[in-house]
Amino acid sequence: MNSKTDICHHCGLPIPDGIDIRDHYGDQEVLFCCHGCHGAFLIISGSGLERFYQQRDWPDSGYPEGVYETNFDDTTLKPYIVPINERLSEISFLVDGIRCATCVWLLEKVLKQKDGVEDIRVNYGSHRARIVFDQIKIPPQKLFTAISKLGYLPRPYSRNAFQEAAAREQKSLLIRFGTAGFLSMQLMGYSLALYAGYFHGIDPNVRQLIQYFAAAVTTPVVFYSGWPFLSGAIRSLVNRAPSMDLLIALGVTTAYCYSLFAMFTGGEVYFDTAAMIVTLILLGRLLENSARNRSMSGIDKLMQLAPDTARQTDGTKNWTVQSINLKPGDCIIVLPGERIPVDAIVSDGESEFDESTITGEALPVYHTTGDQITSGSLNLTNSITLEVTRIKADSFISRMNRLVEEAQNRKAPVQSLADRIASFFVPIVIGIAIMTWSFWAWQGDGNVNAVLNAVAVLIVACPCALGLATPTAVLVATGQAAASGILFRGGDILEGASRADIVAFDKTGTLTLGRPTVTDVIPASGIDRNQLIQYAANAAAGSNHPLAKAIAIYATKNNIDASQIQSTETIPGRGLVALSGDAHLRLGSRLFLQESNILLPDQQVHLQTEVHLALNGTYFGTFLFTDPLRVEAKDTIESLQKFGMETVLLTGDREGPTREIIKALGISSYQSEMKPADKAEWILNKQQEGRILIMVGDGINDAPALSQADLGCAMAGGTDIALETSDLVLTRPDLAKLFTAIQLARKTLTVIKQNLFWAFSYNIVAIPLAASGLLAPIWAAAAMASSSILVIGNSLRLGRHLKKSIANHPPMPLESTND
Amino acid sequence: MIKSIVILILLSLFVGTGVWLFFIWAVKKGEFDDVEGPKYRMLLDVDEENDHNKESK
Repeated sequence: MNSKTDICHHCGLPIPDGIDIRDHYGDQEVLFCCHGCHGAFLIISGSGLERFYQQRDWPDSGYPEGVYETNFDDTTLKPYIVPINERLSEISFLVDGIRCATCVWLLEKVLKQKDGVEDIRVNYGSHRARIVFDQIKIPPQKLFTAISKLGYLPRPYSRNAFQEAAAREQKSLLIRFGTAGFLSMQLMGYSLALYAGYFHGIDPNVRQLIQYFAAAVTTPVVFYSGWPFLSGAIRSLVNRAPSMDLLIALGVTTAYCYSLFAMFTGGEVYFDTAAMIVTLILLGRLLENSARNRSMSGIDKLMQLAPDTARQTDGTKNWTVQSINLKPGDCIIVLPGERIPVDAIVSDGESEFDESTITGEALPVYHTTGDQITSGSLNLTNSITLEVTRIKADSFISRMNRLVEEAQNRKAPVQSLADRIASFFVPIVIGIAIMTWSFWAWQGDGNVNAVLNAVAVLIVACPCALGLATPTAVLVATGQAAASGILFRGGDILEGASRADIVAFDKTGTLTLGRPTVTDVIPASGIDRNQLIQYAANAAAGSNHPLAKAIAIYATKNNIDASQIQSTETIPGRGLVALSGDAHLRLGSRLFLQESNILLPDQQVHLQTEVHLALNGTYFGTFLFTDPLRVEAKDTIESLQKFGMETVLLTGDREGPTREIIKALGISSYQSEMKPADKAEWILNKQQEGRILIMVGDGINDAPALSQADLGCAMAGGTDIALETSDLVLTRPDLAKLFTAIQLARKTLTVIKQNLFWAFSYNIVAIPLAASGLLAPIWAAAAMASSSILVIGNSLRLGRHLKKSIANHPPMPLESTND
Repeated sequence: MIKSIVILILLSLFVGTGVWLFFIWAVKKGEFDDVEGPKYRMLLDVDEENDHNKESK
């Protein structure tokens, strides 16, 4: 960056008039646009990292300009537009690049000024924008162009059926809870009067009247707000599997019916018990749902959109089509930076492709005319023309999707702990109720009294803290987890994570960094090592190839600065030619140097990738590369094993390198040369042995295994499909988070168990009272209130727990750079 | 005595129902869809004339 101009030395933005913030950098004077940038500069230079300013090269992201804009024209956007009336239409889409609330504000203000835009709302939480506009005054493409001009990336987006259903459910739950809350508040007033009357005496007429009102407000709570539990109970009866819903429905309906009966015969009523159970359990469901939705939208945000459109060509002109409409034989053009929409063969041009998400291969693969290319690969260097060989539904990604679906269909849902407890608690309670009834009937105390005592047992057995036990713990735990970069896709996932006993890892990109690093430099005889690095770094400076970048990083580590070069030319799949002064450099593969008649030493027996350098036609030296293991991988695996978990490596690699890795990391066992379906199969076999597995992976090839496993885990930077099929997502590429996640899950399960224990124990204490016929509404209410408070307090403890455990395991230094 | 209790209870139910209907309307309108954004929006929606928010990046 040039510094002595009117642009900010740190952020590169123009400096506004009247701002004068200066500092010294070496013997240069540099200017800043604001004190924030100056502060950042002071931190960077204070740590001796001024080199940052020379080495960052953000102007070119590797994507040619305008890639995104050309993707959207009016025909592509048409399916996303919903007409509202004759004049106005509405479009919803995701906006990439929103970082803070100011972005939302900027987008709204700028677009509102456009003629034809009636209304715009950008949701800060989900990054979704909704624009109401006049199609005649402003075509939708103009809206998208305006947004991308601001530096954001709009992505057309249609909610899938699943998300729609989740949003509808959340809304109906909110209304049910709101209704129950409003009626319960009214009821509380009446109950207070009744309790006061219970202790101090009350006019029977007034009591009767208040009881009528109590019945009137409780009825909708039980039958409208409580409908999810009632229908759940019916379902559980049909399936003959006692669930939590059944227990709740049992408690609520018996309390309600008993109270109706007592109201007409002049006894004590339990309307408040019935209403409170429904209200508090609905609150629990609401909390759990919102925790789930928050994680889901976090995962949504991490996902990139697979290309729904393709650029079709007939040789003279190009136009955009939906990739679903492509037929075999069609020709499409794919620009660098774009993913391949369907399986195809190259008909013209040559380029390098990043296939790491498909095969796990970390290095780019070179393809030229006649080569088969798999959908999902990323085109890296040149624009190429492809001939479609398979329609979208038969392409690689769709085949993977089918494997994923099969795996998901096979998978049984995780039964929650509360449900499992309910499954044996319900029969016990019913047993006690029957015993109570037979005891009092045998005592000859009258049949009515016997039934009433039995019913009282059922009323008091259902703790309303039951509904809060899991959700409050899950809410606190997922909140804490999200703050440290771990997204759980729901409460059952937390429970599943704590029970898992095998962790299976994918190799590339999961245990390794997924990008090459220089391991060794072999200069030709008589050549200085540093000189070799210097020349290679000069040549590599102009390239975006992962190997060239690795050389540049290696040079920096050895304190060698790359100097300016005059020109570089990249030859895809071969290497590059660079001119630097009078030096003519060739950097690339063995084949590339041999083609220009350069003599090379024989290849040594090693499996590593090599790159050779030649200066003015003579061999100069060789660089060796490897894909290094993540620094935190070894510790993470050790900690997992200390937790008593088995670790397994599942990879498509050959056996030799696989063995080396498991030795280096201390992984207990491995499976090599596995195809995507094999991984899922292997996991299924283990599951049939009764094991619970976590699968960690990032590629499209891992997706079936991720969804087959009891718990799939993907890291940010993984592919969409991997993120989509995962239950647990780490938002930072740091394996140590996996251990934190499992630790947190185990703690959460302990808290849930304690919660359930306390919730039940309070009510179990009250059961003898009920059985002996001494239960008064005040006892039922006391049991409910005290167990609920205890449960909430216990759940809040989780927040403190995690903070402590993070303090014990300080996060990686990498995290301090907020990206 | 009973008469006044009935009137008061009915009155409270009447007011409560009004609030309840308002709540339902708000949910249906989507007021609860984005609970994070509005707090920032409020801080940023300063009058365009006084350009104080230029510095708040």
